[in-house]
Amino acid sequence: MRRTLLLVVSIAGLASACGRYAVRPNEKEFLADPVMTFEGDPQEASADDHVLTNREGAAGGNGAGGGGCGCN
Amino acid sequence: MHRVTATSVALVLGAVGAVGVARADDGIDLNTTWYQEQRQGGQGGLTVIHPQLDATVDVGEHTNLALGYSADAVTGATAAVYAVDAVSTATAFSDLRHEGSLGLGFTGRRAKLGLSGSVGVERDYLSLAVAGNAAIDLPGKNTNLAVSYSHARDQACDKANAELQPLERRALTGADPCAKDYGVFGKDTLDATMLVTTTWRDLTIDTAQATVTQNLSPTMVLQASLFGQVLEGFQSNPYRRVRVGPNEPQEHIPDTRARVALSVRLNRWLPRLRAAVHVSGRAYSDSWGVNSGTVELAYSQYVGSSLLLRLRARAYQQTAATFFKDAFYYETESTAGSYFTGDRELSPVRNAVIGGKLTLLSVAEDDKKVWGLFDRVDWNLKADVFLLDELPADDEAANLGGRATQFLTSDQLLDAFELQLGLRTAW
Repeated sequence: MRRTLLLVVSIAGLASACGRYAVRPNEKEFLADPVMTFEGDPQEASADDHVLTNREGAAGGNGAGGGGCGCN
Repeated sequence: MHRVTATSVALVLGAVGAVGVARADDGIDLNTTWYQEQRQGGQGGLTVIHPQLDATVDVGEHTNLALGYSADAVTGATAAVYAVDAVSTATAFSDLRHEGSLGLGFTGRRAKLGLSGSVGVERDYLSLAVAGNAAIDLPGKNTNLAVSYSHARDQACDKANAELQPLERRALTGADPCAKDYGVFGKDTLDATMLVTTTWRDLTIDTAQATVTQNLSPTMVLQASLFGQVLEGFQSNPYRRVRVGPNEPQEHIPDTRARVALSVRLNRWLPRLRAAVHVSGRAYSDSWGVNSGTVELAYSQYVGSSLLLRLRARAYQQTAATFFKDAFYYETESTAGSYFTGDRELSPVRNAVIGGKLTLLSVAEDDKKVWGLFDRVDWNLKADVFLLDELPADDEAANLGGRATQFLTSDQLLDAFELQLGLRTAW
C-alpha cells in the first residue's frame, strides 16, 4: 500500500513538473489549433461510436476531450 | 432494438461525453449521418439515418447549459435464427429511437465540472442515464486530468420467459406489444386471461473513465485514458434465436460483463506544412473473453485559410467471446456451457475503416460576423468506407456446414459506408 501511494505521488509530481515546464505559454500557438485538441467534433465522434458499436464488441473508452493549449 | 448492448453502451457513452466534450463556445451544432451496410444474398440492406442537434448557451459567467436531441431511424433485415443457413431466416424490420439530453457545465479558471442526464426511448428499449465529469489543469496548464462517471438504468422488452429454462425460452417478435408508463417506464403486458405475455428486463450500466492529457512540446500532445464499465442484467437480443440441436431458443448470454480499455493518442503538428498527424492505439479486454486491439492513423491538412482536409485509416481486430461458437457447432455440439449467442459483435472479426473529411471554415473578421450572427461557422462533409473480415471461431476444417451463410452480412470485403454532413456554429 505504501509503495502504491509512493508511486502515485511520484507520478503526480512528475506530471505536475512536466506540466509546468514542458511548454511555455508563449509556445502554445500550435497546440491551440483545433486539429491539435482531442475534443474534435463531439457529434462526429458520437456518430462514429454509434456505427462501430454495431460492428465491434469493444466500443467505448476512447478518451476524454482536452489537449491543446490548456488556456481555458 | 437491433442491438441491445450496443444501443445502451452508445447511450452511456453519449451521456458521459455530453458534458465531458462539451464545446467551449456557445453555439448550435447539426449533424446527420447516413450509414449503409450491404446484406447477403439479395436480402436487402441495413440503413441507418442518425440526425443530431446540440445547443450550448451560457447561463452565467461560469455556467453553461447544453441541450441535445438525436434520433435513429433504422431499416433493414436481420437473421431471426443464428444457424448454418441463417440467411434463409432473414426478417425485415424497422425501428425509430429518440434520445434527449440535458447538461450543466461549470467552468473555472483551471477546472471544469459537468453534470448531465439523458433519456432514450424506442418501442422495445428504454434508457435513463446520469453522468458527471470533472477536469483540472495542473500548474503550467500543460497537464490536464479528467475523470467521468455515468450510471444508466435500461429496460429491454422481452417475452415473459422467467419460469422457463434457457433452451425453452421464446424470442420476442415484432408483433408482441411492449407497454410503457409515461412513455419512459416499462410495463408488463397482460393477455385476456391476465397472464403476463411480455415484460421488461433491467440492465444497469456503470462506466468510469480517467484521462491524462500532456503537452509534450510546442508541437506535440499526448493523451492516455483508462476506461472501465460493468453491465449487470439482461444483455441478450430478445429477438434473436440460436439453433441448438433440434431447438431454436432465444439466445442466452451472461448477465454480468466487466470491460476495461486503455487508449493512447498522440497529435503532432507539422509547422512547415500547416498540418497535423494523429496516431492512436487502444487495447480492450472484457470478462466474456473478448480482447481487441485498434490502431488509427490520421492526417489533417489546411488548404488556404478556409479548407481543412483530414484523411484517416483505422484497423481493428477482436477475439470471440468464450461462449461464442460458429453456428455449425451449436447445431451439432450444443451450447458453450449454458450460453449460446449469434451476436456478430461477439464473434472473431476484423474491421477496417478508410475515410476522409472536408471542412469549410468561416471565421468572423474585424467584428464582421459570419452570416451577421456567428463568430465561426464550419461545414463538414465526411465519408468512410468499412471493410469487414469474419474469422472462424472454431475448427474450420471440421466445420462441415461452413460459415458463409451463418450471418446475414455482405459477401464482399467492402461491406458498408458512412456519410456525414454537419454544421457547427459558435457565437
